Amino acid sequence: MEQASPPVGLPAETVVSEQALRRRYVVRKLLRSPTFLVGLAILLFWIFMALFSTYVTRYGPFAIDPYNTLTGPSAQHWFGTDDSGRDVLSRTLAGARPVLEVAPLATLLALLAGTTIGLTAGYYRGIVDEVLMRAVDVLLAIPVVIAGIVIVSGLGASLAVIILVIAILFTPPVSRTVRSAVLAEREREYVQAARLRGESGLFIMAAEILPNCLPPIIVEGSVRLGYAVFTSATLSFLGFGLQPPSPDWGLTISQQSQNIQVAWWTVIFPAVALATLVVGANLVADGLRRTLSE
Amino acid sequence: MTMGATDASGVTAGTGGTGVATGTGACEGSGGGGSVGGRAPGPVLSVAGLKVTFVRRDRELPVVKGVSLEIAPGEAYGLVGESGCGKTTLALALMRYLPANGRVDAGSVRIDGEDVFSLPEERLRELRGTKLAMVYQDPASALNPSMKVGEQIAEVYRFHEGLSRAAALAAARDSLERVAMPDPDATLERYPFQLSGGQQQRVVIAMALAGDPRLLVLDEPTTGLDATVEAEVLDLIEELRGKVDAAILLISHNLGLVARLCERVGVMYAGRIVEQGPARELFTDPRHPYTMGLLRCLPRFGVRKDEVSLVPIPGSVPPLGSTMPGCVYASRCRLVRPVCTRREPDLFAVPGDLAAKGRAAAEGEPPAPTAQSPHDAEPVGDAARHTRCYVPDEVPAMRVEEEHVHKVQARAARADDVLAAAGVSKAFRDGGRRLVAVDDVTIDVVAGETFGLVGESGSGKTTLANVIAGLYAADGGEVRFLGQRLPPRAAERDRDVLRAIQMVFQNPDSTLNPSWSVRRILSRSAARLAGCRGAARRERVEELARKVHFEPRYLENKPAELSGGQKQRIAIARAFAGSPTLVVCDEPASALDVSVQATILNLLADLQAEQNVSYIFISHDLAVVRYLSDRIGVMYLGWLMEIGDAEDVFRPPHCPYTEALVSAIPTLDFDHRRPRIPLRGAIPSLSDPPTGCRFHTRCHRFLGDLCRREAPPWREAGEGHRYRCHISPNELRELQLAELGPLPGR
Repeated sequence: MEQASPPVGLPAETVVSEQALRRRYVVRKLLRSPTFLVGLAILLFWIFMALFSTYVTRYGPFAIDPYNTLTGPSAQHWFGTDDSGRDVLSRTLAGARPVLEVAPLATLLALLAGTTIGLTAGYYRGIVDEVLMRAVDVLLAIPVVIAGIVIVSGLGASLAVIILVIAILFTPPVSRTVRSAVLAEREREYVQAARLRGESGLFIMAAEILPNCLPPIIVEGSVRLGYAVFTSATLSFLGFGLQPPSPDWGLTISQQSQNIQVAWWTVIFPAVALATLVVGANLVADGLRRTLSE
Repeated sequence: MTMGATDASGVTAGTGGTGVATGTGACEGSGGGGSVGGRAPGPVLSVAGLKVTFVRRDRELPVVKGVSLEIAPGEAYGLVGESGCGKTTLALALMRYLPANGRVDAGSVRIDGEDVFSLPEERLRELRGTKLAMVYQDPASALNPSMKVGEQIAEVYRFHEGLSRAAALAAARDSLERVAMPDPDATLERYPFQLSGGQQQRVVIAMALAGDPRLLVLDEPTTGLDATVEAEVLDLIEELRGKVDAAILLISHNLGLVARLCERVGVMYAGRIVEQGPARELFTDPRHPYTMGLLRCLPRFGVRKDEVSLVPIPGSVPPLGSTMPGCVYASRCRLVRPVCTRREPDLFAVPGDLAAKGRAAAEGEPPAPTAQSPHDAEPVGDAARHTRCYVPDEVPAMRVEEEHVHKVQARAARADDVLAAAGVSKAFRDGGRRLVAVDDVTIDVVAGETFGLVGESGSGKTTLANVIAGLYAADGGEVRFLGQRLPPRAAERDRDVLRAIQMVFQNPDSTLNPSWSVRRILSRSAARLAGCRGAARRERVEELARKVHFEPRYLENKPAELSGGQKQRIAIARAFAGSPTLVVCDEPASALDVSVQATILNLLADLQAEQNVSYIFISHDLAVVRYLSDRIGVMYLGWLMEIGDAEDVFRPPHCPYTEALVSAIPTLDFDHRRPRIPLRGAIPSLSDPPTGCRFHTRCHRFLGDLCRREAPPWREAGEGHRYRCHISPNELRELQLAELGPLPGR
């Protein structure tokens, strides 16, 4: 009847799909944002290196050359060699793998746990909210690095432990973000309509509320990714992450820092690599936040 | 004779452009503009051929497509139309306040002879402060919450007139006195949050008037305010009209409000002014199908659903920025001719004799066909009426055509109670304070009836509705449904009760889950409430869609792709998924434009007639409540003040609070205007309700100590009609009838 049919004299397309238009608009705006594109390029570069660096570099990351230790950048070794004569370029590129094994997985776990806690606390409110959020507050009050050191020294520095530690430490901020999104959403009338249908709390949280809280969760994830890279490098640097001879950047920086007076290249290149990855993740996060929050 | 040869159908043969500036130059030059210019020193505001375009998501959207209007000093001009027609954009463009993505493509705006668009930034700021003032919809957001009222007003004087601090404060005090603020000295020292909505709007208006503006723009000044507060602001504006010489541009979707305040009215549609003229003539004898359409959407006060059905305008406002070759209204017009879609009509003058014929037609005589073209008439001075329509003389006949009546099932003398709420109370905790939102309320709803619930915001009507629906658990009292005691929360109710009691919510934008498709929304309800599975469920979804006139091909769409009216239809379909017995409607149409509101109200009435469902219908719009309701309950500060048949509640004797509410209804009935009863002061806080009668602090029939001390008793005023007051029915009837004067025959 009325309203349902597009007004006469208008191309049907104008009424078609505001949603599709918006989706197309979001994608186009992202692809037009230099911030997002630069960040994305950096991320893709390091992902590629994490997967294929051994195919593009001349030397293996673990290949020792006792005759060529601490040589400066040259045609043979663009980034020079370290104190064991290993090629710094190869090790820097290969260093992307351990960090990209830890950070995304840790972030994903933190998102899962944080979303569950945030949803539950935000939807049920009351005593449930109090208990969960006070627990989160306690976790938030613990300094990340110190807690990481304690746990890793207790459980040993395996990949799984490091991932778990970072995931646990990042759960509180994620739960807070999700909770505040849920608080706004749960007051909306469609949630009341669901309650009037007699839906269970689990259904309302998972099927009704969660899909509408996705944009802030995505943004939160991309922000946390940068921090996770940072934290895993810090743990390695302090000796509580991966162990030698891993080409991990944090570990390399700490191992080679004694040589910095005579061979700056052994430290600077992994440090720059680390910085670019963190900045790249943050640029992507920024682009997403700006576009999704519109 | 101002124009060339024309044929009988009104197609101009020789006129050139279609824009207002050129095409209608003849009409406007000699009509509105010319005569105003001849009488007064010249119009305060003169807009000519204004075009405004927005750029959104890389698309160019023309929003104002050539608008010309003039407002003389001291004149109030009303701009009406549905949302999305460019009214607010026009107002923003007047002051060069367009957002960054909006631009003026053509036309000019002159304020007191100064061309706004060519002014340097400096002079523009001066102009905004001195000659121009704007009052927006939400007074709370126009005031700085952390600044005392006095300082905020004084700032205007200090900035624009360079007054000293003390002098500015004195001026601020005077300005508050001018807007009739009770106790201006104390108000100077208050913060905005300490004032009621009406008082806040007074302050905003006081600030707007501080610079002695030549032009006052009021953009929906009362939307979002309660009817009683609205009435207060209206009274103020009306009163100021006598004292201030400013020209007023009043933008509103509320025709009754505009009819009360304005001498001249422009009806705007899709970026064009389609009709313009003196308020009274325009509203009593509209000559554009759109104006007529708007009027037919409104329930005239005192009309009931079984007497007259509302006639919505078919279709909807074209999407923002769409362009069409012919008349902007052609796609929705009942009188459309082939020429209408080809070439846009000029703004023709409506000749006087035609208007007279129209009046005759409205009174029952068929309109005599006019051989005379609209063009041939001379515009009649200031009172000239213009319409952008080829067939204005066919418009009056639209009033009587096809008014179908909702076939309401005759109510049994005493039908069985569907719902009986007895002594229901509900309190909320706010910090350490206890707010009793619903206090010992007893109502009952019988099968197939509509029970209207009215009252200002904060009266507890929504809380009561939520208690009945099962969203809140009551603290006291009980709710019985078909004789059975209802579990307080929806989660504890079994499917049969859930199915039987459903709710339609107010806000179309949040009533549907934005990430679900329409089909999934209806499908889920069909499964949960009607227990449908598989093919039966699919069928049920389509049946529901048909029932609410929703085209099945849009079932896969997400809510964001639907119009407000469509969303509300789906919300209704969802509530009807399990063939309910009682549907609680919480302001289901108040967020919608009048024509969409009419379709929703019609739909609700039709569904009721078909399924014998009962409604609890909450609305702040008393004309709507009266139109739909069989019985009405009036609430104030958590108390039920009055309950009875709709007719009885709306006429004396009724509770003084109801009396004030009824008197606040803005009406289009120019001949029978009721004197309005102003409600004094703000609504008291729920945390500290007045002693005795809750209403005594604002009551115009306040008796003194008795009202302050003792809660008023229930008075029986007739069959099933009760109200709370210390004044007895007979006495109250005398008092109230005396105030009304001779009653109109409706």
